[in-house]
Amino acid sequence: MSIFSKNQNPAVNESNANEQPESVEELMAVEQGEALSNGNSEQVTRLESSSRQNVLTKPSIISEGFTFEGTITSDGVLNIAGTVRGKITAKSVLIDSSGQVDGELNSEQLVIKGQLKGDVNCDDLNVGPLARVDGNISYKYIHIQRGGRVAGRFIKG
Amino acid sequence: MAEVNQQGCLFVGEGVVLKGNFDVPDIASISGTVEGELTAKQVLVEATGVVRGKLTGESIDIRGEVNEHVSSSRSLIIRSTGKVTGSIHYSEIEIEKGGHLHGDLHNLNPHS
Repeated sequence: MSIFSKNQNPAVNESNANEQPESVEELMAVEQGEALSNGNSEQVTRLESSSRQNVLTKPSIISEGFTFEGTITSDGVLNIAGTVRGKITAKSVLIDSSGQVDGELNSEQLVIKGQLKGDVNCDDLNVGPLARVDGNISYKYIHIQRGGRVAGRFIKG
Repeated sequence: MAEVNQQGCLFVGEGVVLKGNFDVPDIASISGTVEGELTAKQVLVEATGVVRGKLTGESIDIRGEVNEHVSSSRSLIIRSTGKVTGSIHYSEIEIEKGGHLHGDLHNLNPHS
């Protein structure tokens, strides 16, 4: 603001008397700023919450060619197009057609379009037409599309 | 109904309870209860149908309940009202959302 006032003053050729009330206004603005800070913090928290929601809806992606061995924990969406060996816990998991999972998988929503070997614990299971599933699967709702090959024990509940 | 060729078909009405082994050359449509072994070319277990025992067929469509053993050499479809428990051998399987599946699944052609 001070830069603008400096630029404007020579152009407009206003007297210094204007500068002082502006500085007073600036001071008042600072004081008002403190009063507004509550409003600002509201804006800040709104931004934080929207960014947090963005964090939860943005999927974590393991791309094709990526081999991961270990434990994965996520609160949001997980896309697997590579190979994962180990334990996965996430809210929603999508195993793409090139994805291979070997191990334990816990999630609420699970869409399998690739290969899965191991124990699965999920609420909503959707098996695509090119999928291959091998293992013990515990689910609440299931949908297997024609062409999907599944083998193993299925436990509902 | 008179025009449809019913040769080789078995219709089990709702409320009918059959016990024994059945060999059906063509279509078996089950709306009642069948206990024992049922082999047919095409099997339709309707929403009120219950099959307890061994069910074998080329294409099987399940809207009711099947227990113990299901074997399908071609296609096996479990509809949203279908409920299958036990061991299942299939070549091609499709389960509609809402279908109930509890047991061991075996793919008859594991290659390709």
